[in-house]
Amino acid sequence: MSVAQKLHDLLESGIHRIGEIEIQTNACNSRYSLFHHADSDLFTKPSFGGLEVHEGPADAREISTYAEDGTYRFTKGQVNLKRGWVMILENEDELRLALDQFYPACVGLFIAQKGGILEIETLREKLNRQTGMYRFARTISDAGAQKLVQEICGPAHQCAKKILWKIDADTPLDDSEASRFNGIPGNFPETEAIPLLCREACNHFVAECRKAAKTEHEAKSAGGS
Amino acid sequence: MPIAPKPDSALLIVGHGSTENPDSSTPYFEHADEIRRRELFAEVHCCFWKEEPSMREAFYLIDSPEIYVVPDFISEGYFTQDVIPRELGLTGPTTEVRGKTFHYCLPVGVHPSMTGLILRRAKEVAPDVDPAATTLIITGHGTGLNQNSTKAIRDQVDQIIASDAGYAAVLDAYMEEQPFIAEWDKLSQTPNVVIVPFFISDGLHSYQDIPVLIGIENEVGAAASQREVFRHNPHHVRGKTLYYSSAIGTERLLADVILDQVHDFDQIHKIL
Repeated sequence: MSVAQKLHDLLESGIHRIGEIEIQTNACNSRYSLFHHADSDLFTKPSFGGLEVHEGPADAREISTYAEDGTYRFTKGQVNLKRGWVMILENEDELRLALDQFYPACVGLFIAQKGGILEIETLREKLNRQTGMYRFARTISDAGAQKLVQEICGPAHQCAKKILWKIDADTPLDDSEASRFNGIPGNFPETEAIPLLCREACNHFVAECRKAAKTEHEAKSAGGS
Repeated sequence: MPIAPKPDSALLIVGHGSTENPDSSTPYFEHADEIRRRELFAEVHCCFWKEEPSMREAFYLIDSPEIYVVPDFISEGYFTQDVIPRELGLTGPTTEVRGKTFHYCLPVGVHPSMTGLILRRAKEVAPDVDPAATTLIITGHGTGLNQNSTKAIRDQVDQIIASDAGYAAVLDAYMEEQPFIAEWDKLSQTPNVVIVPFFISDGLHSYQDIPVLIGIENEVGAAASQREVFRHNPHHVRGKTLYYSSAIGTERLLADVILDQVHDFDQIHKIL
């Protein structure tokens, strides 16, 4: 069964939210509507309450690239998706294409997790794999890595994804808002939403590890001199 | 080169992306859209080094059991030879990864059909010039760390010269190694000059750095979506008429080069 077909089944089971996006299924014609959940009231009004209408998935990338304040959303897990639009999609394939722009790979990751085939990589496995300019990132201390998770991850910072990974096989993340977050912004019921999942630290986190590792190294060198 | 439809296969386009420049990934998505429109594959996806979806998540995007991976890069090098294979788990031209078959093609920049794309872009940006009175310059970063991209540009220059496109001269020039693009006027003997940046995306180099080096901007400006710099051709500067193109990767028909690499993979590895 394809990802699009499984997505259809998830919606049939009562799921209607992913990230900040509400998914409305029109039972009459099997079409789908996507809009920012904060615009739910407008969606129910005539002419979608003035929401800008987009037919098909083509504009999903443009809508999700910048936040309302013009900031570039380079991580799509940020909780600052623009409002003021509604996207009408003809079928599950178009819906899947749109959601893959708004929340890249998140539908597939959730389906894999439900199917028991999602592979997780610890932070140390990730860092030890890096070469070139990111190789130095592996020298970051566990304490430094734990601190970075709390400073960079989580809905209050760059990303509202549920962190599935640990520092290493034996070292879980310290308790924090970021480590506790379930990948569903807005305290929404878990049975009604596709959580955003983080199966391994992203390139941005690795880049931050590198900077932090350099700072640690400089501090140690200064302390020893 | 047209390819036969592959209804059971996926195409995975790999790009670099950027955490600072939103225009960086635009070309890859446009190439994917163009190929998707042609309905040649069961599915077409993009994945990135610095943006989402990452190469590490790409596996979970794909339904098809067979995937053609094409690096949307202008040359071979560290990314195509080390990073991409490592991140996708590829160990050779064809690799089985968790029950799926991945075919790893060569990057777009090294395919001979890039030559036609460059000539097309040069013609588009300067439609009224006489090639016989024009120098065509292909420009890139040029750095000791990236000999492969310099080679890719030099190869394109050789191929354009061999193609009898009719330009008075075809040259390579670089931001950080000789011959320097900043000396484009001294390198050219003709009244007209066309410069085509050999990058996939428009960004800091094509928006900011090169315009300052070639004298069409006085100072470095803001990074994002500086498309204005490409809209004022020709530029009358340093006693010549200069036409400055956006990065070659912004040509939507680079999609054809992606397909050419898929075709060539099948030819070389005899996939039926």
